[in-house]
This record gives sequence, C-alpha cells and structure tokens, in this order.
Amino acid sequence: MSAATRTASASAQVDWSKIYTGLGLGKQTITSLQEFRARHTTALNRNSALKATTPEIDLSHYKGLLKDQSAVQNAEKVLREFKAVDYDVTKFNSAVDAFKGKAVEAAKATLKKIETEEGSLKDTLANIQEARPFEDLTVTEVAKARPEISKAVETMIQKGKWTVPGYREKFGEFSLM
Amino acid sequence: MPQLQAFYFVNQITFALVALFTITYVMSVYVLPYFVQLFVTRVYITKL
Repeated sequence: MSAATRTASASAQVDWSKIYTGLGLGKQTITSLQEFRARHTTALNRNSALKATTPEIDLSHYKGLLKDQSAVQNAEKVLREFKAVDYDVTKFNSAVDAFKGKAVEAAKATLKKIETEEGSLKDTLANIQEARPFEDLTVTEVAKARPEISKAVETMIQKGKWTVPGYREKFGEFSLM
Repeated sequence: MPQLQAFYFVNQITFALVALFTITYVMSVYVLPYFVQLFVTRVYITKL
C-alpha cells in the first residue's frame, strides 16, 4: 500500500461529526479543523483534476508521419527520460509543524480548561451531596463560606456600630428592655 | 474588730472591679460581636 493510499484511507475513516460535536472542542480549534479539511479537499480535487488532464502521446503515429525520424527518437528519449521534479517540501513541513505546534498548544489549553472545569464540577457535586438542611446552617459555616461577613462585622464593631440596619424591620424586636 | 472593716470593703471592691472588667471584656469581645455577626448573617442570607 502506497503512502498516498494509506493517507486517503486514513482520512476517509475520520469521523468529523464526532470530532466537531463529541469532543467539546473550542470554537477556534473547530474553525482551524474545518479550514484544514477544506484545504485537504481542495488539494485532493486539484490533484485528481491534474491527473485527468495528463496528455497521452502516441509516438508511433508520429514515426509514420514525420520524415525526420531522429526528431521522433529524440522526443521519445526526452519523454522516456523525463522525471518529475522533486519539490522541496521542507518549507511546507515547517509550516505544518508550526500549525501542529499551535494546534497541540490549543488542545493542551482546552484540556487544562476542561480539567479545571471538571474539578470545579466535582467540588460542586460533593458540595451538593454533603449539603445539610438549611435549618442546620450555623453562623460559623456561613462566615467560613463568606469571609466578607466577618470583615463587615469587624469593621462595624471597630466603629462602635452594634445594630444592623434593616434587621428589626425584617425580623422584629425581641429585646425585653 | 471594727478596724478590720476596711479590709472587707477593699476585698469587695477588688473582686467587684475584677468581675466587672472580666464581664465587660467577655461581653465586648465574645458575646456581643457574636450577636452582631448573627444578625448580619441573617440579613445576608435572606438577601441572597
């Protein structure tokens, strides 16, 4: 199996819909992937179009037609010895490597983000599972969860404020004096 | 002995002052701020 065939069969096996929707990738990554896919399809189409336009030369026809046989032989020789020029793809490779590096970096960033989100979701889940009834909530727990309450109380006491504005209106006055 | 009466009052005053200081300290540092905190927390969690 040639490298091109292998690549073609491998690219045919890629489940793009799963990649686009199933993996939860970022918008940027998906756009890059779509661009890459479009470029790949264009390149494939161009390749097949060029292959289809290669002319076939019938040299025996010219041998019978032309008087100058040496010219025909010369042409035959040239055609036989013709070898496609090897194109230097290193510069493209570097571009591909750069793209790969960028893609891997983005994927790593996505992975890190997902891991962080997963951790926070797990924390939330544990929080929900370990939650106790609202009646059992203590002042200490609320103060631990919201440190700004303790700070506010500290400032109030330092300023000599011992009453909470709006408290009496809401909860009533139970003072005996 | 009536001349020892003064020491009885000194003792009374000393303990009264110590008790007063202790009560004031405990109330102002531990008890009353707790009530303020309780009230602030109540107001806070009803506003959530």
